[in-house]
Amino acid sequence: MSDGLDLSLRQQAAAIAAGELDPAALLEATLARIEERNPALNAVVETFPERSREMLAAAPRGPLHGVPIVIKDEWPLPWRAQRFGAAEMLAPAAPGESGPYRALRDAGAVIVGVGNMHELGASSTGNISVYGPAHNPWKLDRCPGGSSSGPAASVAARLVAGAVGADGVGSIRYPAAYCGLTGLKPTFGRSAMAGHHMAEVSTTIVSGALCADAADCRALDSALFGEELAVGEPRGLRIGVIRGEVSEDVAPDVREACEAAIEDLRRESGGEVREIELPELAAATLATVLIANSESLGGITPERLNRLDPELSPLGRGLLKYRVLVPAIATIKAGRLRTLARQTLARVFEEVDVLACPTAPAVAPSLEAPVVELPSGHLTADEANVRAGALANLTGIPAISVPVGSSEGLPVGLQLQAAWGRDELLLDAAEAIERANGRRWVEAVPPALGAEPLEA
Amino acid sequence: MEASDHTGDFIPAALAAYGIEADEIELAVIQAAHQTLWPPILELLDLDTAAVPLERDPDLSQAPPSR
Repeated sequence: MSDGLDLSLRQQAAAIAAGELDPAALLEATLARIEERNPALNAVVETFPERSREMLAAAPRGPLHGVPIVIKDEWPLPWRAQRFGAAEMLAPAAPGESGPYRALRDAGAVIVGVGNMHELGASSTGNISVYGPAHNPWKLDRCPGGSSSGPAASVAARLVAGAVGADGVGSIRYPAAYCGLTGLKPTFGRSAMAGHHMAEVSTTIVSGALCADAADCRALDSALFGEELAVGEPRGLRIGVIRGEVSEDVAPDVREACEAAIEDLRRESGGEVREIELPELAAATLATVLIANSESLGGITPERLNRLDPELSPLGRGLLKYRVLVPAIATIKAGRLRTLARQTLARVFEEVDVLACPTAPAVAPSLEAPVVELPSGHLTADEANVRAGALANLTGIPAISVPVGSSEGLPVGLQLQAAWGRDELLLDAAEAIERANGRRWVEAVPPALGAEPLEA
Repeated sequence: MEASDHTGDFIPAALAAYGIEADEIELAVIQAAHQTLWPPILELLDLDTAAVPLERDPDLSQAPPSR
């Protein structure tokens, strides 16, 4: 067998379990590949070969025995405190056993590196970080997506077959869409969260997997959930298409690819498509931003804001200071909107099984100026992306981004959302889409790795 | 009284009231954020949410309890 680097995550695990692939050789090959490919990507900000070797030596014969994984700079490790992509964090950080670390360790996986991320997790682009930006493997001058920029770029560039991210307002799904990966934002509270510096206060953040396809995500998320995520067969799926700007104010190629994938899913599952109105969506989007921003302010004082680390970006410093100026009544009303949105979704999910819309309304914008062109005009990528990404974090429901096409040689992602606890259904639906399109988009690799450019 | 955009006055006054310092670039960022967020925040403030029951400590891993 080859060095195993280009196998899927589950193929690596199966080959190691069968004695066909030496996990020590796989680890060394992975470290060598990171050394070779990472300088152009800045996806991995730190490796620790001795720690990784020690982890492998002690690894139990779990379902991911010997599989190399990259973990986002949002999770502490016993030998390394997270930096959250920033020169200064708002909460204390220290080395320790985070929930995702324990989950990976107990499954037998080997952490080979820390993935870059957008500064303070504050953007869908990944273009600002204390380590410098990560680059999108499909086009190096484009954003990899944020805030889980490094984990996504690591998997897309085949440094590793799986990575662990975190999603507080779309931060797994945007990079999955921009980099052509499958990324699941689990139901709130279902995946490992212990040890996160905001674990006690956040009502939006979850850990989750970024992988090439849904089956790999299922394997890695099973470890993060601490339970086997069963495979099912979606039959007669009732697919709700969200009407309004989230589906309509979208770049034409992205809209076309997503509509085709929705039709693929309908046909593959023998289901039906219904249009769904969510009039609360725009207000719910703002509510998510207000709630997520307010939850990080507990340790903030004006004095502290006056002595922020000068290495924090001017954008980061300005936005932190603006958060303090938002009136409390707005955050209180945001809480009421959360209740309203949850009640609305509970009714909607009696009528449909999944809600579908583009994960991001345009493909990855440039790192230098992350602005997208939509039918309504030019918007910052963050303003545009948050429309689709926020609802799942506000309400707690699971959501997944599935690669379904391309535009300008860059991947397009479709987002599916389901009712609380139906994470498995989303993975099943993603696999149904893969079957329907012949796995064309999950098997595509970036041109820099020797492949032909993506064509729609 | 009708709400209006007083960014020019509001931001420096609010920062000063809190004792928060901001350099020229930070001020530009804050004003840009304000111009983006303030109109929808005003719309939010106009919503009467008194009839929406507050879900105290909602269990976000589950659907809300049916009423």
